[in-house]
Amino acid sequence: MFLLGRRNFLRGVTAIGATAGLGAIKPLWAQTLDNRAVLDVIKKPIPSTGEMIPAVGLGSWITFNVGNDPVLRDQCANVMQAFFDGGGRMIDSSPMYGSSQDVIGYGLDKLGARDRVFSTDKVWTSDDGAEQIAETSDYWNIEKFDLLQVHNLVGINDNLPLLFDMKDAGRLRYVGVTTSHGRRTDDLIAVMKNTPLDFVQVTYNPVDRKVEDYLLPLASERGIAVIVNRPFQGGHLIDRLEGEKLPDFAAEIEVRSWAQLILKYLISHPAVTCPIPATTQPMHAMENMQAATGPMPDDDMRQRIAAVIGVL
Amino acid sequence: MSEWWSYSLADFLLFSPRVYYRLFEMLNTTWWLAVTAALVAGIITFGLSIRHGNRGNRVALVLLAMIWGWVTAGFLWYYYQPINWIIPYFIPAFITEALLMVMFAARRMPLRFGWRGDFSSIAGVVMIVMAIFVYPFVGLIEGRDLIQAELFGSAADPTAIGTLGFILLARGSWRWGLLPVPLVWCVLSSGTLWVMDQNIALLPLIAVWLTVLGGWMDQKNGVTRRSLLDTGGDD
Repeated sequence: MFLLGRRNFLRGVTAIGATAGLGAIKPLWAQTLDNRAVLDVIKKPIPSTGEMIPAVGLGSWITFNVGNDPVLRDQCANVMQAFFDGGGRMIDSSPMYGSSQDVIGYGLDKLGARDRVFSTDKVWTSDDGAEQIAETSDYWNIEKFDLLQVHNLVGINDNLPLLFDMKDAGRLRYVGVTTSHGRRTDDLIAVMKNTPLDFVQVTYNPVDRKVEDYLLPLASERGIAVIVNRPFQGGHLIDRLEGEKLPDFAAEIEVRSWAQLILKYLISHPAVTCPIPATTQPMHAMENMQAATGPMPDDDMRQRIAAVIGVL
Repeated sequence: MSEWWSYSLADFLLFSPRVYYRLFEMLNTTWWLAVTAALVAGIITFGLSIRHGNRGNRVALVLLAMIWGWVTAGFLWYYYQPINWIIPYFIPAFITEALLMVMFAARRMPLRFGWRGDFSSIAGVVMIVMAIFVYPFVGLIEGRDLIQAELFGSAADPTAIGTLGFILLARGSWRWGLLPVPLVWCVLSSGTLWVMDQNIALLPLIAVWLTVLGGWMDQKNGVTRRSLLDTGGDD
């Protein structure tokens, strides 16, 4: 019987750490990582190349927009450290996310982790996309991104050809297009049908399931990798589930929190490549990576997960 | 960009309350001397603005201009702008507000402040008292630390609210030239706080409402149109 919510899970681990008297040596999330074997994280293929990437990534929307605050910048670096140590690679950002790109660059500098990151960003402008991408490169201090996406299809007629040109010139590895909140789904579907995209990014979680009907099957059919944004509805879903008892069947897939249950729901969809939950807590980053380990729900259990979360 | 219609207000809020209130903590701890000086300048301006007579009007305007300059450079430019993409668009407006105050101070007959005992005077004093003495402590009720207090003279919201109060305490039509920037700021800030689920979002809106009502009553009572020489002053 699992009674743990996300915060209770964190409190519990904190208490264990305090009891062990380890607090003065390392941050708790680091101690917890030290005490575990390296996570055997599930990897999923990028259909266009077959390259395998860990099935959970890290988003930066709101959580990494901390400006010049040195304390919060270090906290973000700690989140990245926990994410990398847990086996994660894909970090996603956008020029729309304030100082997030700069903070990611700071974290990569601090951790010396540029060889570990699967760098994922976006172009979000109707003006000069090349100029914006150059700024983004400066923030990350990365010359060649793994993946650049047209953010919410903004300026797609100019920006998508620009990204394909960069890919052809060897200055970019993958090209994608994003939407969120179910916006402009018809336009996205048209782009998926007519261009050789490597990635799409869509909103998907056990409550927002519209993409299951057509978009995810289309992605499978067209060989397009799928990144899932807003897996927790920007945190609202987790807040809503806080304090609710996990269903008994969660034990069968070794889930200890609602966050992990949601992530397993997403990862187990055959068309989904990588959800990108955002967090400010290193412990949550690690907990998210743990969701990409162990047994996954089958179709029947996925339906039960959606049903349980849908009524809470 | 034709796609703006597909965004909601919340989509443009890209920072959390945690990060937002840390801005004031950093401002208050790093620049504590300037923050204290700006607050004291605000209190002095309040004292000068409720007196009758011409003396002190220029000083009040210069102090307010310096406060707006400090809010622009210290808070908006260095701390707030990195996390909020809309701030760079507001910085010229804040600078313009400061320059207008300097201009009004430099006129042969400067903008004049004074207690008139009418509705807009009362509303003005209420807003100034709220901005200087109440606003910083509202956060305590919501569980925030005192070190994160938003102080008049350094934080934009109480400064804008207090400035609206000073404008209501002033006379003549010229004062309305100072109105747009703090008024628009209060509306924007209220929207931001509302999206962040902060109860304090009501205060800037109340200030806007009081200002509009006070301005309308001044217009109705002729305070705006009345010649300064007819008001018993010593210009």
